[in-house]
Amino acid sequence: MNRAMNILSIPRRVRKSFPAFSRLPLGLWPMFFCVLAATTQCYAQDDSAQKTSAGYVPVISGAFAYIQNATGGAQTLTPQIVPVLLVPMGHSLLIESRVEFTGFFQREDGTSGRYAGKVFKTIDYAQLDWLANTHATAVVGRYILPFGLYSERLAPVWIRNLQDTPLTYSIGTHPDGAGNGFMLRGVAASTASHTIQYSAYMSAHNSITQLPAMRVAGGDTSIFFPAGHVEAGLSYQRSLEGYQINNEAAYLSWQPQRASVDLKAEYDRNHYGDGYWIEAAHSPQQFFVAPDFFRHFQLVGRMEQLFTRNGGGNGLPRVNEQRPEVGLNYQIRDDWRLESNYGRLFSANGNTNIWNFGFTYRFVWPLWPGRKS
Amino acid sequence: MNTHRRIHCLLALVACGFCLIAALAATGQSSPAATGPSHAQSAASTTSSAGEKVFMANCARCHTPPMTLSPRVTGTVVAHMRVRARLSREDERLLLQYLAP
Repeated sequence: MNRAMNILSIPRRVRKSFPAFSRLPLGLWPMFFCVLAATTQCYAQDDSAQKTSAGYVPVISGAFAYIQNATGGAQTLTPQIVPVLLVPMGHSLLIESRVEFTGFFQREDGTSGRYAGKVFKTIDYAQLDWLANTHATAVVGRYILPFGLYSERLAPVWIRNLQDTPLTYSIGTHPDGAGNGFMLRGVAASTASHTIQYSAYMSAHNSITQLPAMRVAGGDTSIFFPAGHVEAGLSYQRSLEGYQINNEAAYLSWQPQRASVDLKAEYDRNHYGDGYWIEAAHSPQQFFVAPDFFRHFQLVGRMEQLFTRNGGGNGLPRVNEQRPEVGLNYQIRDDWRLESNYGRLFSANGNTNIWNFGFTYRFVWPLWPGRKS
Repeated sequence: MNTHRRIHCLLALVACGFCLIAALAATGQSSPAATGPSHAQSAASTTSSAGEKVFMANCARCHTPPMTLSPRVTGTVVAHMRVRARLSREDERLLLQYLAP
């Protein structure tokens, strides 16, 4: 019996690296595995429905980016390589990982002198997904915290419309935007009129330099109405270490069907502050002059405000801030995009102008020979 | 402090007004639904498959349509997006039939 318990228990090395695992309630483990086991039969039933020419070879995807930033006259050169590795194992298991190599190079004296800096390496996620059935995907490993609209969906450099992250970004994503542990996610209900999606996760504390994470538990749910292209969602997260604070978010996304406009907004709140951002992006599809040229442009505007509470901090500014920004992007090809934006930061520490110029290149390469047609 | 709050409220109203104006200005144009490269937009106007609807409703919510995908990587990429976008198995099947028939 003792031996059986030892086999089922968490290895000592794992307990040492992830001490929070050893404190998980025992009832959670059988519940977690029961949910996974219950989904196997459902997958086997609808796997035969997939009859297409789609191949499942390992893929390396991601982007190269180069952004030149000027904040208050100080220049920063930021080259970035973000590879995404996807390794499928059959149709129901997927290993995926994203790593960021980001260089920050600034002039030694702020506005003069030679450029110096270093390259930072970050593992955004490294996870094993089990696409169990239509309602559930189980994720184990390091994953992006599904908090709000921005962190999981809009943060990649080749997706974001404006290069600066929102002022409220640290709410629900502190310290590194990722969690180490397990997550269940998927579609709770799907009809012709609406779709309800969910995520629920538990992360353990980890202080390893490349894999920092806090002990948190939380969830996210959203409802999407396809007819109106409207999505509304709520996120909740409870920090289970330190001050044990709550993080909350509400978000809205709307793409009016008759207009090439993308509207997104998010409100975030926790013990250290609250704030919102609201963003609109427009691509002129039928410009009266040279429409083929102008439809590749994208005009973006964003307004955001942050109000500190209890002195701010924990990744948030220490004083109230607001920042309006406008941007102009141009999609040269499907995979190349030029980007530019200007913003002004209003802060009790001083107002500053922010400029960003750069480009992103996005790629998808197979890592294994397979069917070509 | 009250003055600061008033300024914040004013800025918030300006932001809402900006987005409303942007939406109203663009609503007058009879263009396809999502922002993105032209080839996918033109394809959207000519076909109306269920897979395309899934594509425009879910994928275009977050990003512009991707470059043309090789069939050999399509299954992997769609599986990845099923996890990211929390798609159902039916949505995945329709997307595969649309992207790699």
